[in-house]
Amino acid sequence: MINPYLALLWVIGLTLTAIYLLRPDRGLLWRLLRASKATERVLVEDALKHLFDCEYRQQVGTLQSLSGVLTISGNRAAELLESLEEQGLISSGEGGYLLTSEGRRHALQVIRIHRLWERYFSDETGLEPRAWHQEAELREHTTTPAEAEALAAKMGNPPFDPHGDPIPTASGEMPPPQGSPLTELPVGELAEIVHIEDEPEAVYAQLLAEGLHPGMRVRVNESTPRRIRFEANAEEIVLAPVLAANLSVAPLPEEVEMPGPFERLSELPLGRQARVVAIAPTLRAPERRRMLDLGLVPGTVVEAELRSPSGDPTGYRIRGAVIALRQDQADQIQIERLEASAAS
Amino acid sequence: MSHSPADCATCPAHSLPNLVKLGVDMENWDYVVALAGNPNTGKSTVFNALTGLRQHTGNWPGKTVARAEGGFSIGEARYKLVDLPGTYSLLSTSVDEEIARDFILFGKPDVTVVVVDATRLERNLNLVLQVLEITDRAVVCLNLMDEAKRKGLEIDHRRLARDLGVPVVPTSARSGEGLDELNRVIAEVASGQLKSKPLRVGSQSSSLKRAVRQLTVEVEKAYPGLPNAQWVALRLLDGDERIAEAFRNGELGELQEPHLLSEGAADSSSLAASFPDTERPDTEDIFALAASLRWQVGKDFHQELMELIYTEAARLADRAVHRTGEKPRFDLDRTIDRLVTSRLLGFPLMLALLTLVFWITIAGANVPSRMLATLFLDTIHPALKTAAAAIGMPWWLDGLLIDGMYLATAWVVSVMLPPMAIFFPLFTLLEDFGYLPRVAFNLDRTFKRVGAHGKQALTMAMGWGCNAAAIVSTRIIDSPRERLIAIITNNFALCNGRWPTQILIASIFIGGLAPAYLAGLISALAVVAVAVLGVVFTFATSWLLSRTVLRGEVSTFNLELPPYRPPRFWTTVYTSIIDRTLVVLWRAVIFALPAGAVIWLLSNIQISGVSLAQHIIGAIEPFGLLVGLSGIILLAYIIAIPANEIVIPTILMLTVLVTGMEGVGGGTGVMFELDSLEATSQLLQAGGFTLLMAVNLMLFSLVHNPCSTTIYTIYRETRSAKWTTISALLPLGMGFVLCFVVTQIWRIVAGT
Repeated sequence: MINPYLALLWVIGLTLTAIYLLRPDRGLLWRLLRASKATERVLVEDALKHLFDCEYRQQVGTLQSLSGVLTISGNRAAELLESLEEQGLISSGEGGYLLTSEGRRHALQVIRIHRLWERYFSDETGLEPRAWHQEAELREHTTTPAEAEALAAKMGNPPFDPHGDPIPTASGEMPPPQGSPLTELPVGELAEIVHIEDEPEAVYAQLLAEGLHPGMRVRVNESTPRRIRFEANAEEIVLAPVLAANLSVAPLPEEVEMPGPFERLSELPLGRQARVVAIAPTLRAPERRRMLDLGLVPGTVVEAELRSPSGDPTGYRIRGAVIALRQDQADQIQIERLEASAAS
Repeated sequence: MSHSPADCATCPAHSLPNLVKLGVDMENWDYVVALAGNPNTGKSTVFNALTGLRQHTGNWPGKTVARAEGGFSIGEARYKLVDLPGTYSLLSTSVDEEIARDFILFGKPDVTVVVVDATRLERNLNLVLQVLEITDRAVVCLNLMDEAKRKGLEIDHRRLARDLGVPVVPTSARSGEGLDELNRVIAEVASGQLKSKPLRVGSQSSSLKRAVRQLTVEVEKAYPGLPNAQWVALRLLDGDERIAEAFRNGELGELQEPHLLSEGAADSSSLAASFPDTERPDTEDIFALAASLRWQVGKDFHQELMELIYTEAARLADRAVHRTGEKPRFDLDRTIDRLVTSRLLGFPLMLALLTLVFWITIAGANVPSRMLATLFLDTIHPALKTAAAAIGMPWWLDGLLIDGMYLATAWVVSVMLPPMAIFFPLFTLLEDFGYLPRVAFNLDRTFKRVGAHGKQALTMAMGWGCNAAAIVSTRIIDSPRERLIAIITNNFALCNGRWPTQILIASIFIGGLAPAYLAGLISALAVVAVAVLGVVFTFATSWLLSRTVLRGEVSTFNLELPPYRPPRFWTTVYTSIIDRTLVVLWRAVIFALPAGAVIWLLSNIQISGVSLAQHIIGAIEPFGLLVGLSGIILLAYIIAIPANEIVIPTILMLTVLVTGMEGVGGGTGVMFELDSLEATSQLLQAGGFTLLMAVNLMLFSLVHNPCSTTIYTIYRETRSAKWTTISALLPLGMGFVLCFVVTQIWRIVAGT
């Protein structure tokens, strides 16, 4: 008979080792796998992407910036840059490195694939927003142009990725860069969020947690070196400048207005009716389609009818049917309450 | 102005070459009619009603989608009817929608009939509005009017027709109502007598309007006389590949209609001459324009478009539909709902109902099971043996067929059939009544916290009847991730076949530990504890799966609480028995037959004087002891993969085999059961059964691989070898680990 203590110890040890090795994303095996994929091609393409980024933002890419972004040593970066120059993809000048037209074409292709994948994850999978960028990073180097075209066609050639960035066309076209950091927006001016920087990941997660997304209308109320206080879709948000700088905004034409404060469907008390004003843009594509299918379009009258004894979900009467919605779904429906006397 | 059929061939509006390309042969026909509509609107009923028997099916050229076409005549004219695939819209990129859209656009049917479900008008109008963007020659067939009437819906079809700008014909295709009118209207639209001015959905945002206008102008320059230039512009803006292709290769030229050109244009023959290729504005320029406009138009252009159409459809539906006669049912429904989901009574009511269902099942199945057992095992079995002997069957064939295959199958049937024949109808009655979604509603929050769906409560409850049927029932969960979770964890719900094992072992070994007057209670509690453990495992595994393997799968929540309906008792009982009970039973039998054969063979084939079964038992005994089970139990479980019901009989049989006991059982390789608990207990203990083994057996019975019927059903439902393997091996692995850990702790504590 095997000593039970020993046996237990063995099993616990094995389980812990398995978790350490195999845990998705953070396990040793995964990390090794990813490191092994950091082949030459990957480095080349990432370098080109970085240089294009610099170009797009009218900055110059240097050895330091490259080694920082790619997390490689200065020596490795220098080797890489030399190799790129030899391949005719970059040329040195203006205190840094610039892309040649061939290099630019290559960079745009990779960026296109990356952003298409992000769009795919956002629209067609349940992956959480924080994971889109990483997963796209993994796939961008192994997707062939034909696969990318098929992906684009399947989604109907989306023009923008879920961060608000334009997806280069197959022929490598991109619109000129729009927007400046939120920190530079004058107080009182109305603007639209056009881009949310997805790196570093922690900052992006925090911005998402505040409910910010591309397309939101913002107006800055106070801007000091310590904090930025602004309204976004009529809700007030305070951010440190270092976070706010990751939001790019573009001014809106004069006739556009800040949408007024709205109420959420989840706040509608039982027995009361309301009219749907809009579906919040933060609700992603598959769920959005579902809402539309149910008839939650602007103008529809809904009534909160039932609540589950555990508090969630709530049953709403929509067009004659009683549909149960969870609180996080009902949060995304903007409504306007109807007076009790109007209900009948 | 009316046309005669002879004009058709020369009229540029009749797209003969395109039709041929789309697989439609217009040899003997004057007009072509397309039949479109959402799925489940009775479109096929309309199709059949119009064409009668004159129809045949084939495939769409180059695709694997089936197509039906048929013919009918109205007066002198002959009409070919082409059935388009049922679709919810024409904007997405599925094959069905492509086919439908391409046919309406390039095939240019003389009439497009859109079949609409009158009880779901706003949903169906989406498709109508999209069709109207492409063609003027449309007729709306407002079907299922009888259903609408039943639901108290009154539809003002005249107002709808005025709003839409096209004829609307109310019908009940099932009973033939309205079809004459439909025929008449089709004829009028086809011959050009009835001209319509369809509603085109405008756009709201000014940037969108500007972009569309800009692009439309360019499209009209390239292809003057295009009847739906704005729609083409929208499609280009949206990045539609097919339209872009048609634009590029000139296909759109065939859709131009000269009569739409300004007076300066000449007749059709000079149309081509007036725009030689060199003069046509460069198509690449237009694509570039579309691409740059796309950046300006905004991030959610596609969504915005969809929402516009949906909003318009809702508006039109609101104008046309009036709800009447709902109030009394309304109030009753509300009262029941308030009761059933109340904080005070909701959960107790649920528990009470569930307990009631189980109690009826277990109590009610007892007597029939025994009767069936008596019939199959005590009466027919000996009769078969005698018959076999009479015709001089060799002993091994007789043993294999009768003792092995027949016996196993008979066992499974007699144990499985009565509980299922009671449980399923009860469950289905609750389902039909409309109560079950309320259960999901009450429990959703708990399930959400582990990443699952409230409806999993229902599939779990079903699993307590039969896991295979529960897997089929997971169809009610349409979110892929939650559905997979429900499937993989379903096995932790103790199915009917495992209840006898649990009850027997608990009564002998656990009840046996308590004083006689408490024995019954203790053993019942033990069984309940195991069932509750199963629920705990379900939640824990759901949580684990949603965090690891199933992280990236799409997850949507939807749950509708339909109105309560008095269940049609006998119909439900009948259909549930056929659909669920018999189907599952049949599958179980298919798997039980070979299992029976294997049991018999293993026990009777001897190698060096010892049966194969004993060899295997000997080989796996060390592993068994490691995890606290025995070789006999493990072999029994291997053999019982087809059906959990036969575990105990197999264990008993193998015990007799291994220990060489005499005077018990029906012979080598013959499964059996003993009538008294004492006798069973003695037999097991004589075979080396310990309390530890008993506890582990109960645990393993809860956490082990699903039966083969269930595994097969999982494969049929998921169509994925990967998930089927995970569903089969995950519980098995967990079971071994569980028994192992329990055994070690037991041994530490008990000091053995």
